[in-house]
Amino acid sequence: MVSVCFYFQVHQPHRLRDYTIFDIGHRDDYFDEEKNKQIIQKVASKCYLPTNKLLLHLINQSKGEFKVTFSITGTALEQMEKYSPETLESFKALARTGCVEFLSETYNHSLSYLFSKTEFKEQVELHKNKIKQLFDFTPTAFRNTELIFNNELAKFVEDMGYTAIVAEGADHILRERTPNFIYNPVNSNIKVLLKNYRLSDDIAFRFSNKGWAEHPLTTEKFVNWLNQVNGNGELVNLFMDYETFGEHQWEDTGIFKFLEHLPSKVLEHPHNNFVTVSEAADKYESRGIVDIHNFISWADLERDLTAWLGNPLQDSAIQELYKLEQYIKATGDKKLLDDWRKLTTSDHYYYMCTKWFSDGDVHKYFNPYDSPYEAYIIFMNVLNDFTRRIRSKLDSQSKQNELRVKKAEMLLMTDTPSRILTN
Amino acid sequence: MLGWEFPPFFAGGAGIVCSELSKALITQGTDILFVMPSGPDNTSSAESQNLKIIVTNNKYRNVKIRIKKIDSLLHAYATPQSYNQQYTQMINGTKKGQPKTLYGPNLKEEVYRFAEQVKLLAEEEDFDIIHAHDWVTFPAAIALKQLTGKPLVVHIHITEFDKTGGNHADPDIYAIEREGMLSADKVITVSNKIKDTCIHNYFIDPSKILVVHNAAPSMYDSPTSINTKLKENNKIVLFAGRVTLQKGPDYFVDAAKKVLEKAPDTLFILAGSGDMLNQMIEKTAKLGISNKFIFTGFYTRDQANQLFEIADVFVMPSVSEPFGLVPYEAQLKRTPTIISKQSGIGEVLYHTLKVDFWDVNQLANKILAVLHYKQLHKELKEKGYDEAKSSTWDNPATKCLNIYHNLMNNRGVI
Repeated sequence: MVSVCFYFQVHQPHRLRDYTIFDIGHRDDYFDEEKNKQIIQKVASKCYLPTNKLLLHLINQSKGEFKVTFSITGTALEQMEKYSPETLESFKALARTGCVEFLSETYNHSLSYLFSKTEFKEQVELHKNKIKQLFDFTPTAFRNTELIFNNELAKFVEDMGYTAIVAEGADHILRERTPNFIYNPVNSNIKVLLKNYRLSDDIAFRFSNKGWAEHPLTTEKFVNWLNQVNGNGELVNLFMDYETFGEHQWEDTGIFKFLEHLPSKVLEHPHNNFVTVSEAADKYESRGIVDIHNFISWADLERDLTAWLGNPLQDSAIQELYKLEQYIKATGDKKLLDDWRKLTTSDHYYYMCTKWFSDGDVHKYFNPYDSPYEAYIIFMNVLNDFTRRIRSKLDSQSKQNELRVKKAEMLLMTDTPSRILTN
Repeated sequence: MLGWEFPPFFAGGAGIVCSELSKALITQGTDILFVMPSGPDNTSSAESQNLKIIVTNNKYRNVKIRIKKIDSLLHAYATPQSYNQQYTQMINGTKKGQPKTLYGPNLKEEVYRFAEQVKLLAEEEDFDIIHAHDWVTFPAAIALKQLTGKPLVVHIHITEFDKTGGNHADPDIYAIEREGMLSADKVITVSNKIKDTCIHNYFIDPSKILVVHNAAPSMYDSPTSINTKLKENNKIVLFAGRVTLQKGPDYFVDAAKKVLEKAPDTLFILAGSGDMLNQMIEKTAKLGISNKFIFTGFYTRDQANQLFEIADVFVMPSVSEPFGLVPYEAQLKRTPTIISKQSGIGEVLYHTLKVDFWDVNQLANKILAVLHYKQLHKELKEKGYDEAKSSTWDNPATKCLNIYHNLMNNRGVI
């Protein structure tokens, strides 16, 4: 018996405009609405709309046997609401089939678990509410940003009430074991579904690679590989960015044809079926323990945090940002908090990654800026203006005692980025 | 190899490239005969077992060469005004460390005299490949190829188009450049940018052009005698290069004005001389920022190293820069750099900030960012140093050798 579990990630960040030092104090429209609109509309027409249509067709055609799981970030949903309402409608239509599960994650696709557990919980709650409101669905399984995961995080998420979580099936945590079973992390009963990265990446990365020995990848060939799991696994987790369909792999690569024929081919084998993440967790028992002390993720070759954190630019930017959390929350200003949360999105730090000079055109492909330095300068300029706004807000509210204390504290912070250029 | 200059008997970037490339080629097993028109009588300080230097004006001092006069004062790297200026300077030899050269006032005459001398030389020297640097050596190179039938590689460091921004290109120089490229078996350009110029402005067959990016020049420690007091109360922003239209000094001054509005304790050093220097001095006065500017005039290589050492950021806002080696030198001195997107070096330099030369707002924004965002400064300083350090001449030398070998194979030399 092989269960196939598709989970697709849908995410779009709020990209920043080219915000210079000379804009500080003069404008607070940090986000490049025009560019963000263009991108979501482009991705909608190339990927979201045609793929959603196809999935709906496949679900109906298979009479509900074909199932998929989505995780859609709050920032992506917001942009769909604003710039591509028809995309949101097509996701709602999928939700109504009952064959689609939605995962919980942080609303802003943030690294908040690493910097503020309070903020992490708040963002997860926000996201949960959004999914409930839009799709009338209450998530029970969890996905952390970029599949960032370790033992403690699993325990933390379990304590928040989740019964399943997805993670990368990295070689070094599996140690010769297969990702095709359910596992438990150390000290926790939450069920972990591990990405089968070979089979997932065959679709997500290698599908159109003419230099790959298996190119072209036919549905028959791929299903044959899936069937081979019979006997040494129960579950194949195919986790990938949803943009794989039509955006990373263009339509002319045959990716849609591949997907179209996949469900019926899989179901030809009487012991095969499709499951969502929570169904898999309900259906299968844990077959062992995975001990993941250091954080893993699904990024790059390293499968660690170095795509977002670790170089001095990334570290200083994100540390400065999280220092502001308590002050923003003290102001009670919704607009400030909303802007701040948009800045917690992991993509901003990904753009500052300098290792792509050697490691990956992947980073370059997804970077809207010329260089990581450019990304850093823009981010820090924005943060400067942002700090200025918080200060003036605290100023105007300073009749209240507690806020006055906060403001005094804030001025004492020695390395706020704002110490330059207040004139 | 035919060149116009060779360190320490040199004036500019092409000389550095000739020397660094020669050294690396020699390391990879090539013998080089470097021929240039002018220089000191004794060149042994720069020679080695595999490198022989011939200065034709000295060698053929007593040979009378008659050349048709062409009236022009254009210099390879300058406008007519600055050629006069430099010529006067060279004759007087007043600047310390700057060698006296023996060029006549008419560069084109020199170019053809050199060609005649090189023809004489062909009778006594043997070689497999002719490698000629920039238009000033092309008549000599073409003559040599005609005489010996050896394959010719021309190396383009800059074109007349870059020097003039495409306006008022000297038709004689343009013709010499084009003839050199047409006569050559292969054309080497120092950047894709120059390759495009050769294709679109000189109509050269793209398949004949190969890009060989320059690498970082080797640095040496120079005595530090600079006044570090300057640094105590100021952040220092440096421009170092010829003060000419091509190098974009006026954008530097405009950006300075904007930087000073935000950060008054910034000091700007505009190092170098050129036909726009006076204009720049007047401009800073007009903008009311002359107290924040230091104009050094002509500087030596030692002085340049010291300037890089005290600067907090080096800016190269060139309007057009075929390659532009200087950012490498700054980065080797652990100084962050900002370069224009119109600079060829940007094709291979990543740990730097890039702006459009005309975008004064962005230039000022980036200057302020480097000066005030500490982590950014640190990262650019360290990564920039590593980047320049790891850029060696083995790579360009290997590319040149491959070109030589292919040409020689085609001719059945090997």
